[in-house]
Amino acid sequence: MAEAPVIVFDKIRTVRDTPLEEMFTSGHRTCQGCESAMVMRHFSKAAGPRTIATGSTGCMYVANTAYMTTPWIIPWMHTQLGAGGSSAVGTAAAIRALRRKGKIADEHINAIAFCGDLGGGDMGLSGISAALQTDYDLLIILYDNESAANTDIQATGMTTYGAQTTFTPPGTEHRIMQRRWKKNVAPMLAVGHPTCRYVATASATYPPLDFHNKVRKALAIGGPTFIHTFDPCPKGWDYHPQYSREVGELGIKSGIFPLYEIIDGKVTYTYDARNKERTPVREYLMAQGRFAHLIDEDIDYIQSMVDTMWNEWEVPGLAPFKGGLELAKV
Amino acid sequence: MIKRVEINYRGIFQKNLAKRIGGDIVIIASRMGKVAFSNGRYSDSPERNGIPCKYFAFVSPDLEEEELEAECGAKLDIDEADVSVVLDETMVKGVEPWGWHGVRPINEKVTEKGCLLVVSHKEPEALLKFIGKKPFDYRIAILDGDASLAGLWVFKDDLTHERVLGAIAAVDPEIISIDAVEDFVKWKYKEERRAQAARQAYDATLRRISRVTPELGIEWPHEVPILPKWHEFGEGVVVPAVERGFEMGPRGQSRNTMFKRGTTKTLRPVVRFDLCIGCTLCWLDCPDECFDPVEGKLYDVNYEYCVGCGKCAVVCPVPECIVMVDELKFEDDSSPWEHYRRDPQGYIEWAEEKKGTDRYAYPHVTGTGFEIKAGSAPPAKVGK
Amino acid sequence: MAIAQEPQIWEREDLLTGCQAVSQAVRLADVDVIAAYPIRPYTEVMDTLSKIIADGQLDAEYIIADSEHSQFEIVKHASAVGARSFAGSSGTGWMYGFEALVVTASDRLPVLFLVGNRALDDPGAFGVEHNDALAVRDMGFLLMWATTAQEALEHVLIGYRIAEDKRVRMPMALAMDGAFLTHSQHMVRVPSPEAVKRFLPPYELGDRRLHPDNPISIAPQVNEDWVIELRRQNWEAARRARGVIKEAYQEFNSVFGTDYSNPYFTEFMTDDADYVLVGLGTVAMPGRTAVRRMREQGHKVGYVNLRWFRPFPTEELRACLGRFKGVGVIDRDFAHGSPDSGGILLHEIRSCLYPVKERPKIVNIIGGLGGRDISIADCTTMFERTRQAVESDSDDEVVSWIGLRE
Repeated sequence: MAEAPVIVFDKIRTVRDTPLEEMFTSGHRTCQGCESAMVMRHFSKAAGPRTIATGSTGCMYVANTAYMTTPWIIPWMHTQLGAGGSSAVGTAAAIRALRRKGKIADEHINAIAFCGDLGGGDMGLSGISAALQTDYDLLIILYDNESAANTDIQATGMTTYGAQTTFTPPGTEHRIMQRRWKKNVAPMLAVGHPTCRYVATASATYPPLDFHNKVRKALAIGGPTFIHTFDPCPKGWDYHPQYSREVGELGIKSGIFPLYEIIDGKVTYTYDARNKERTPVREYLMAQGRFAHLIDEDIDYIQSMVDTMWNEWEVPGLAPFKGGLELAKV
Repeated sequence: MIKRVEINYRGIFQKNLAKRIGGDIVIIASRMGKVAFSNGRYSDSPERNGIPCKYFAFVSPDLEEEELEAECGAKLDIDEADVSVVLDETMVKGVEPWGWHGVRPINEKVTEKGCLLVVSHKEPEALLKFIGKKPFDYRIAILDGDASLAGLWVFKDDLTHERVLGAIAAVDPEIISIDAVEDFVKWKYKEERRAQAARQAYDATLRRISRVTPELGIEWPHEVPILPKWHEFGEGVVVPAVERGFEMGPRGQSRNTMFKRGTTKTLRPVVRFDLCIGCTLCWLDCPDECFDPVEGKLYDVNYEYCVGCGKCAVVCPVPECIVMVDELKFEDDSSPWEHYRRDPQGYIEWAEEKKGTDRYAYPHVTGTGFEIKAGSAPPAKVGK
Repeated sequence: MAIAQEPQIWEREDLLTGCQAVSQAVRLADVDVIAAYPIRPYTEVMDTLSKIIADGQLDAEYIIADSEHSQFEIVKHASAVGARSFAGSSGTGWMYGFEALVVTASDRLPVLFLVGNRALDDPGAFGVEHNDALAVRDMGFLLMWATTAQEALEHVLIGYRIAEDKRVRMPMALAMDGAFLTHSQHMVRVPSPEAVKRFLPPYELGDRRLHPDNPISIAPQVNEDWVIELRRQNWEAARRARGVIKEAYQEFNSVFGTDYSNPYFTEFMTDDADYVLVGLGTVAMPGRTAVRRMREQGHKVGYVNLRWFRPFPTEELRACLGRFKGVGVIDRDFAHGSPDSGGILLHEIRSCLYPVKERPKIVNIIGGLGGRDISIADCTTMFERTRQAVESDSDDEVVSWIGLRE
């Protein structure tokens, strides 16, 4: 079996080795228990001060740099909702040109762009796709709280089947208005961009430091990279903020959110839900008010989709191809 | 005559509740033949869990609708409030909804003869310890009850909505009368018990109104911030980043001074430093970067910035090491670790006294219930 | 001992299209980041630049974007980091990226764009029309029209000089008539890099530069406490631009020996004119030719070719046009449903002339849309209509169309 390529990066081995200094600090208007804020805090902590971040419109824009103030310690710039990919390219291209032409010091600077559901999975997809085809050193992070959260919770391409949002309320005639299955963004990008060396999914809290080290790997491997994080959202998902970590773990352990890395085409599961005793999705769903209107039929459907994902897909949790490869019969 | 009602509430947790109350005031007033309208404070939007927010209702028996709207509508904030409802008692410590404005007194808009109506189990004296003095008489009224908290999708139907309507009728019958409230509640919500709850709250609140004279309360030197003129700040929509700064010790991490967020919390984490095993998870898992690493593998809490989410209490592997405690038990945001370091035994006693034996237990889905369980105070492990 | 050579100003003369002339200027300006995306009729600027880069004549990052929105976002961010950046588009492509353009202006970033004027969709049509470039006029852009390839080349350099000045820091749209200027080949003088270096200083953002050595947050969310003040700042920058424009042209003239006396517009035979036509872009050529021929017949006519649309040269144009009996405003654009249904330039000129006590009669001729020719004869007709309006003293038919099958 081929070994995953060795990437040389400063791995954070234990929680005690986590850098103590913040690059994204207190004083932001995020919800109590916001896991997307955790993503901001930890990607910047992992990347360090020689970083330029661009953030597209969304919760992590409006809630962070609220009211002409900022919690950012690293240089940061707002970008448009669909411009996650293009802002990363613009930043990285300028760094490269100015270094080469001697207009700035010749040192590596991380270029990291982040975007939410819409910026990463819907509107901004074309820009991200183009970015992943370039050879610029950049990292794009899709922080996924499964809704358009900043506009007070609407469904997006990343919203789970059945979830209540202001666009998908259960009604007397239609119980389920959110009939779309969650878009499989990370594998879609990995499959579509063969020269992109690093695509991963992560949670900011579970397992501890996994996200930090994925960020560092992505920044070290060279070229454009992509990480999709799973961010439980107390506001949109309707659970008490203190349970953010637990809800995230349930999502991962039930197999609903696969956790893995794809490095130069090789898939490594961070949490291998194929062979583990997966937590029934019911436990995950019933911990959240956005699923309060689901009945057994809905939960069974979701369970069956998750089981199919892990039991029948060619690349479990990743690629929805089933049943092996066959030649077409003419 | 214009009657202005502001409803102070915890963002998201009481969003639906505040909107129902505000909206129903308008409908009830309309049914009484008055003119009325309601709106949220737009700049509170997007709401975030716990952020102090406001909802407004305006009522007039004699103005045209357009004139009422011209006086009260299309504004960022209310000018003054005849009734200022506080749906969560911890908001009496003051509110900081936006950056640059600092912490504002909860009774900022209450008029002379106006009334601050607080949903609380406490007596007015306990609340006035935190409330700023005003230069004139006003009233404070207590509607006995817990803060009713729920999420966006699952509403907590604990009759708070109906009871607040009854209480408003008690403190200012010129806005809505209790008869009109009862009548409306019966008509709209059908169940008898709801109308009864309103009436009972009305009766009870009548007996819980007290006068607040200018010497009651605390000094609160709050000023409206003076913001820079257009030519007094840099161009290009640029603000300096928070200056980089970290050293071990309390407040060792640099933070955004323009927006502290501490008034978001209803509970704060109390830490038994003696029990701590230094696993780092509280510090690591805090979405608001509130812990300051200190010597001895411990983590101090910066209460100025803590928003009270409770994640640290849940993630801490040591039972009773971090417990969430009612915010109103604390009068300042001083460093707990410094207190512990000066006087470990004294701190432990203080901490246990604050914690008491009540432990707040929330279900996963906030609106489905709330319990108070019994906790225990582990013996001190001093001399670690 | 060798005698020092006189520093060479013009390196050579080349046969260039308007687009190619702009490419040469982008090369000379030592642009750092270029984002390309294809749309007629501006694309050739990007074709030419890619070859220039491939042949090692310009050291720049050249990114092929996935859309105009991405294209404009790329150069905006590159500019924020301190890279001199260039992009462009036409017609519906320009509109696709409009969000990014608006934000570039409010972020006060001096990106230079070539707009190859093209009719807006629907339907798709390639011919020249000015609505695309005009769409940014209220946003805080520098906006000017080149009339010749030479002028286009020079205005890339002048444009960066003005846009990057710290008193300005606004993006610039350099508009050029599609086909008639973008594609038409003329002999163009190309300056030497040394001369350009003497004129164009490097791009320095100072404490607005996005770099780890200068940690800032650019464009934090704001509430009602801030927006109006920010708008006032941008409003002021657009006003300050006028003075910087004058300075830039003086410097350009002194380095290149050119003869730009009035930066904002040129006047042709207006000294004793009774009637003038005003227009943007290549319509100046049949316009001025009509003037010449009518003058030979003894008519007192003149032509004003407006170069700078933003900032609008209010005082200067008021002083100029206020002298005449009649002004015919040529609009190669539309403004459906506007006052009198006149074109955009009409409204600007009427507004500009409002305070003049003895105002000229103003008429508006809409023509040349979607690439329809405006001929010398058409221009003669436009003078006729202007004269008729003055002599009949009528305000009835302020707006008319020309070249329309009706």
